[in-house]
Amino acid sequence: MINDGDYVAVFNNVHRVMKAEKILKEKRLNILLIPAPRALKSDCGLAIRYCLADRPVIEALLGEAGLLPEEIYRKQGEEFIRIDAPGA
Amino acid sequence: MKTIDCRKMTCPMPVVTVKKALEESPGQALTVLLDDGPPRENVARFAVNRGFTIEETPLDDGYAILISGSAGEAIAIRKEKGGETVMLIASDMLGEGSEELGRLLLKNFVNTLVEVAETPDRMLFVNTGVFLTTEGSEVLEALEKLGNRGVEIASCGVCLDFFNLRDKLRSGTVTNMFTIAESLLKARSVIRL
Repeated sequence: MINDGDYVAVFNNVHRVMKAEKILKEKRLNILLIPAPRALKSDCGLAIRYCLADRPVIEALLGEAGLLPEEIYRKQGEEFIRIDAPGA
Repeated sequence: MKTIDCRKMTCPMPVVTVKKALEESPGQALTVLLDDGPPRENVARFAVNRGFTIEETPLDDGYAILISGSAGEAIAIRKEKGGETVMLIASDMLGEGSEELGRLLLKNFVNTLVEVAETPDRMLFVNTGVFLTTEGSEVLEALEKLGNRGVEIASCGVCLDFFNLRDKLRSGTVTNMFTIAESLLKARSVIRL
């Protein structure tokens, strides 16, 4: 479900990820709630996938709502590269 | 040797057709004619993942893939042992209690199926389960990937009619209660969600 170059925002709380999904869906952004990849540690096992083009608006909206994810990764080949969240 | 022409078919129909042909004639080599691109890639991946050997030959119009190998025997043994693993999705929620959580869990479950090695042979969607196979569903991408791995996806026609969704079906085929009943009764195992 995660293509090369996709971003994966990992949340550690189911309520936070559900709120984040709702906010982003309301803005009709192209996101997908996905199982957090096994390679990444996540307490609730959920993540949100998005692409580079949508990254600024998504992370800005999440920041405004106080819902910045615990960790953000970019899929690169078979690896996940940790990216710092804005303002982190 | 049997040859089937899957050119001009859109995904996941080539994989579905090849799977059916392999199951009908286990142990026999099969030549499949395919368009280049996703149909060719998906059928090749499906066959290799199931342990078959493939040989690809370019044609003037598309590709011919020769599928052979002992995996055909494995299919024969599996059929003798008693059928398929069928998943019955009878709701758009997983579990009871919170509807919001239930919908999230089912969505996450289907998306997770893509990431695990084992897949069901067939997924049958009934009642509000058909919301997952129709326009607006958030698991269409996952269902397409599962379809390309040979999972048969079918939605109950009565249920689609009831919700006025028949022309909004976006994944798999329409099925009826005879097929659903037979699939469940012949299955080696039924997983009801």
